[in-house]
Amino acid sequence: MTHQRVSSRRMGVALLVVFLMAGLLVSRLVDVQVVRAAELKEQSAEIRATAEVLWASRGSIVDSFGNYLATDVDRYDISADPRKVGDFRRDGEIVTVSEAMAEIALITEANSDELLYAVTQDPAAHFTYLVKSVSPENREALRDLRNPWLQMDLVRERTYPFGPVTANLTGMLGRDEPLAGVERKYDPCLQAINGVASYQRGADGIRLPGTTQLVEEPIHGGDVTLTIDSDLQWYVLQTLAEHGSKLGAEYGSALVVRVSDGHVLAAADWPTFDPNDFSKAPVEFMGARSFSSPYEPGSIMKSVGIAMLIDAGYTYSEDKIVAPGFYQVYPGRFIKNFVVADDRQLTAAGVLHTSSNTGISVLANRMPKAEATRYFGQFGFGEVTGINFLGESSGQVLPVDRVDVVTRYNQFFGQGISVTAAQMASSYQTLANDGVRVPLRLVDGCTTNDGEFIAEPLGEPVRVVSQSAAQQTVRMMETIVAQGPLRNTLEIPGYRVAAKTGTAEIATSSGYGDDRVISLAGMAPAEDPEYVVLVSFYKPQTSRVSTAAAPAFHEILSHVLKHYRVAPSSQPAVLPPLTW
Amino acid sequence: MTVIAHTSAGTSRATKPARTRSTRQRTQANQVPKLRYIVVLLAGIFAILGGQLLLSIAVSGGAYEIASLKSELRGSHQKQQIVSEEISALVAPDTLANLASSLGMVPDNNPAYIRVSDGAVLGEAIPALASSGGQVFAVTAGTETLVAPAIVEDVFVTISASMIQRTDEAGALAFDVEEPTFGDTQGPVVSPVSLSEAPAPRFGGSIPSPVTR
Repeated sequence: MTHQRVSSRRMGVALLVVFLMAGLLVSRLVDVQVVRAAELKEQSAEIRATAEVLWASRGSIVDSFGNYLATDVDRYDISADPRKVGDFRRDGEIVTVSEAMAEIALITEANSDELLYAVTQDPAAHFTYLVKSVSPENREALRDLRNPWLQMDLVRERTYPFGPVTANLTGMLGRDEPLAGVERKYDPCLQAINGVASYQRGADGIRLPGTTQLVEEPIHGGDVTLTIDSDLQWYVLQTLAEHGSKLGAEYGSALVVRVSDGHVLAAADWPTFDPNDFSKAPVEFMGARSFSSPYEPGSIMKSVGIAMLIDAGYTYSEDKIVAPGFYQVYPGRFIKNFVVADDRQLTAAGVLHTSSNTGISVLANRMPKAEATRYFGQFGFGEVTGINFLGESSGQVLPVDRVDVVTRYNQFFGQGISVTAAQMASSYQTLANDGVRVPLRLVDGCTTNDGEFIAEPLGEPVRVVSQSAAQQTVRMMETIVAQGPLRNTLEIPGYRVAAKTGTAEIATSSGYGDDRVISLAGMAPAEDPEYVVLVSFYKPQTSRVSTAAAPAFHEILSHVLKHYRVAPSSQPAVLPPLTW
Repeated sequence: MTVIAHTSAGTSRATKPARTRSTRQRTQANQVPKLRYIVVLLAGIFAILGGQLLLSIAVSGGAYEIASLKSELRGSHQKQQIVSEEISALVAPDTLANLASSLGMVPDNNPAYIRVSDGAVLGEAIPALASSGGQVFAVTAGTETLVAPAIVEDVFVTISASMIQRTDEAGALAFDVEEPTFGDTQGPVVSPVSLSEAPAPRFGGSIPSPVTR
């Protein structure tokens, strides 16, 4: 009996302990599984899961033929953990650290001493870059080294396969953001947003099935298509470089515009820069001067002025005037010609042909200045072109009340008005297109990653001058090529060409100095112009007259005609008389 | 508590024989079907477990396959990228111009055409002059660090080698000298790019040139 009681009491104690422990376990279970469940789950996922960046590609910039002007490529950053760097064994042979560095240096063309320094300068560091942006081929070669402490991480890098050719237009990508040009302006189209996925992986690095979680979907960028023909752009840039350096010019710009739709086929600025490596490029050469740098264009504006005068009915190509040696604006203030001469009996065509400042002043006197200002506006001066390039200048057309008695004449020969090369090309497009200005176009549109093409809105064509006024002006410009002193330089056998030269004085803080901008603008074939070419050199040193720009203009225009297979002219030109 | 503590098949049979007997009778009556149930149930459970195991092995195997296919895909992407980078480098206008002039071609800017239908020449055909350029000018302010990709250099080298060989052959025919061996770099050298004739660009700078290779 006693024995039984003792044993049952022992039993009771044991049971109590068992229950207490069970209770403890249950409460712990409830705590873990219910009370802190969410928190713990999160912690565990954090420990087990590996986050992976899902790289999204930034869109490409392509030319009108689909050539890549800017595109993303895979590159690898090679790094190491200095604490783990050491000799290792490969195929039974020991590879020392310096040998390993020499191998890496051989593949990546890096300096092996610098690599050694990188891992030894702070042996306690956890991370150091060895070589950045290694190409996939070199990365394969590095992997074949079977170096256990070498880490290779994928990065996306921007490349510009054609280098400097379209750098002024595409702009470039900085470390964090696009810095200029189309890259920056069309960033919303091009932009890519990297995604993130998390997954769990086993000891061998294989991801566990069913554990992948897409945290954020990667969003690839769209492609921007330009109207540029990069082959032509290359040729134009080469021509600028050749003649620009011969002339000792500070810089030069050239544009080629298709008359029918205002597409800019080439817009080159020399000197330019290499967007693949612009760290040492001078800032002043990193933009697109054709759009951003306004200048006083000089006599190439006379064609525009003549067209305005004809359109308003103040003159016509055979109109007989006397161009004085000096044109008196007011007593003591005269306008003179480039080459001072006596009074000449010129037709309006002769005024343009000889680029007579006094002659055009006689004609300009017939047009009220308010009307002239309105015409300049209609030609697109004083406002950005249809392209609205990033940082584009609108130039300056003075408001009527600030146009003084001298400026009202000066404007007709391109002084006292500032324009960009793009605006000037656009005004010649107007003359070439029978008086209808089709807004310039550089970007055709954006092809989204889904394949949808979103066209840039088309600008509304504007009738600026009548067809007759435009055609008469083109005939007048033809006389310059067919009969002028530059005939031998400008003529293209088999084609009718219309062009106008311009030598503009550059305004400085103390009036106009000795430096000049020399330009040539023109079109071909003159009977029905298809292409407009404009060439400008800023501050040429070896020759400061516009004739020095003629060879470059001629080369570019002949190349354009050949490049686009323009049929030679079949009708002979009927040109207006120049004198009477 | 005590009862529970001491409970065993033997004691319960001893204390409550009547109930046990009746249970036993029922048990005996149902024994065969019950056993069958258990066997079926257990077999089912094991079959399910086994199936699950096989399935999860298959899925894991799939994971390895996915991993290997993914790395294969990545490799292919990479190869495609390498090739398209090479193509881009080869179609770059600078490269083409250099290659063309290394073949002795010169640009002719004079537009003239033959109309196929009647053989008429449109425009005025003027032969290009051998001196009409062909050099490539530096277009940056002397800041480019252009390094021609390996593929471009390979093509240059191939072309220069074939030019050298051709010149050697021509020389051999004309002057009846010893047949030179292919790749004899001491032979008459055709300058692949007329770089030396190019005026020094105002901003200095250089372009990738195969001459030095």
